[in-house]
Amino acid sequence: MAEPRYLEHEAKSVVIVMTSGPSTRHRCATPFYMGAILASMDAEVRIFFTMEGVKLCQKGVAEHLTAIDGGKTIIEFMRDAKAAGVRFYLCRPALPGYEMEVDSVIDEVDELSSGGELADLILSCDKALFF
Amino acid sequence: MNCNGCEFRPELYYDSEFQIWVRVEADGALAVGMTDISQTIAGKILHVRVRRPGTPRPAGRPVATIESGKWAGPVPNLFDCTIASANREVLEAPALLNREPYDAWIARVTPAAPPAEALSRFLTGDAAWAAYCERCRRDDIRCRRLDG
Repeated sequence: MAEPRYLEHEAKSVVIVMTSGPSTRHRCATPFYMGAILASMDAEVRIFFTMEGVKLCQKGVAEHLTAIDGGKTIIEFMRDAKAAGVRFYLCRPALPGYEMEVDSVIDEVDELSSGGELADLILSCDKALFF
Repeated sequence: MNCNGCEFRPELYYDSEFQIWVRVEADGALAVGMTDISQTIAGKILHVRVRRPGTPRPAGRPVATIESGKWAGPVPNLFDCTIASANREVLEAPALLNREPYDAWIARVTPAAPPAEALSRFLTGDAAWAAYCERCRRDDIRCRRLDG
């Protein structure tokens, strides 16, 4: 039997920039799935929602959105990522463009952030992924 | 024993969310596996990866990762330990976790503290059974096993 592929990674920090939203629903599950795996491998994972990605953080949107017909809802993927330790950041300056108010944001969001904070995260993390 | 079709074994130790079970082995090591609830939520498990044996794992750092087609997440760890071994049968055939969740252990770990101390935050016996059924009913979890 071949040697198993054990986990041996050092702790890393990863930022996932989520720009996809309901208009490209098939792109909306994998980032959270990947976030959950990375967090399970000891990575410190932050998902930053900006551009159309902020729509996923509006109450009532991710609860009714699936990546494929009949599939698991996006909010369930988001909650799996949260349960694995992923933190959610929401781009406050992007909200007006999508007619979103702060009080319509889902409870899963950890922080309302700025573009400058996203820049800080990208410059200080080990890996940045864009979806 | 079962609740909503979810098997329960009173001799095992469980975390408060019933994600994992822990069994005390004769040599003092602790075997860790997924509960019937966890394998049902995950769906057919496609990949399991365990930390290399000999790796210390502080409380809060997972011992393994699990992937199915629709779910990915950690095998959580609630006490300081060192990975002793991985179940190579499970690594080769991860769906064993769906078929025999209480026989297919994932990893054996050596706790830093005596087993009784390491397991002090876990539920077992009647208390675990009551909480297990409560979780099944609260979240309307109905367990299913893979055939074959």
